[in-house]
Amino acid sequence: MKNESTIIDVPAESSSAMKGKAPLIGMAKDHTTSGSGGYKRGLSIFDFLLRLAAIIAASVAAATMFTSDETLPLFTQFLQFEAGYDDLPTFQFFVIAMSIVSGYLVLSLPISVVTIVRPLATAPRLLLLVLDTAALAFNMAAASSAAAISYLAHNGNQNTNWLPICQQFGDFCLKSSGAVVSSFVAVVFFTILVVLSGVALKRH
Amino acid sequence: MAKESTTIDIGEPSTVTKSTSHAVADEKKKSFVTAAAGGGYKRGLAIFDFLLRLAAIGITIGASSVMFTAEETLPFFTQFLQFQAGYDDFPTFQFFVIAIAIVASYLVLSLPFSIVTIVRPLAVAPRLILLISDTVVLTLTTAAAAAAASIVYLAHNGNANTNWLPICQQFGDFCQTTSTAVVAASISVVFFILLIVISAIALKRH
Repeated sequence: MKNESTIIDVPAESSSAMKGKAPLIGMAKDHTTSGSGGYKRGLSIFDFLLRLAAIIAASVAAATMFTSDETLPLFTQFLQFEAGYDDLPTFQFFVIAMSIVSGYLVLSLPISVVTIVRPLATAPRLLLLVLDTAALAFNMAAASSAAAISYLAHNGNQNTNWLPICQQFGDFCLKSSGAVVSSFVAVVFFTILVVLSGVALKRH
Repeated sequence: MAKESTTIDIGEPSTVTKSTSHAVADEKKKSFVTAAAGGGYKRGLAIFDFLLRLAAIGITIGASSVMFTAEETLPFFTQFLQFQAGYDDFPTFQFFVIAIAIVASYLVLSLPFSIVTIVRPLAVAPRLILLISDTVVLTLTTAAAAAAASIVYLAHNGNANTNWLPICQQFGDFCQTTSTAVVAASISVVFFILLIVISAIALKRH
């Protein structure tokens, strides 16, 4: 008769606990970094391209308004025979504001490149969003105040006896209106940029 | 010889369930803690967002109604200028009244979304909707405020080069009321910028 006794070592806590815990953590990590990194990097590249387009729109607006001088071959008794952007303070504000906006866009290109290289970092994107919102408001203010003056130049105002100067200064009116339209295009780009930064900041 | 054999029931299922439930309970506790921490800070931002929206509603309604009632009739009249001035004499001011009224109604409609972000601070969709629509409405408000500001500037100063006379010389009251409306709209622009930045910070991952 032999007494056989075996000691069965039951690993109560360790291995089953490790089995239960480990795979969950592993799966969670792999899923978040590679997945959302690629999608956010795509958004950053689109953001960079939009910035380049907005630089073109904003600088074209500033340049067109700046060179919108016109000198009439004739002159009348009541109106000047020269018209330029510096005859209207609103247009002066427009040129200065669009130049500032173009300069800001050029300076924000490196930050956009940083968001492409590090798609999961939130600080550059948040900074871009805040600055873009301020630039959007500034751009829109310049564009719409110039638009109001352009409207007045085209149509005049009977109630205040403000005569429409576009009757005489057709070329000047055309160029300044073109500058205003280009500036509104830049506003659309800015709106898309802000929304893009907001979507890219989202948690997943 | 009697062979004794005992089957030792190790009872693995119970220990496995114990340890996994322990792990799950721990994970649940951890996630609950992080939810409460991130949730609390984001809930504070959401409450601030709601209060800003209420203030912006008040200011935009004020701006729109002040511009709407900005009429003045002069007791005398001159040969060249009309003796009545109202917001509907200027298409820009008409645009201002309509646009700011639209902005005010948008703000009222966005209040439920803001309440949802207070109740569910970690939900991403309401905040993103608010961010996108706030950006669009910001551009509308800025357009109205800036266009009206340029006309108000013209009314105050006139323009020598284009022979546009400053009408504020005659219509002092009208000019003052319209200037107040423009200032109020500009303040609402600042509120909108703050609202957008708050939504962006609250959207951030932690």
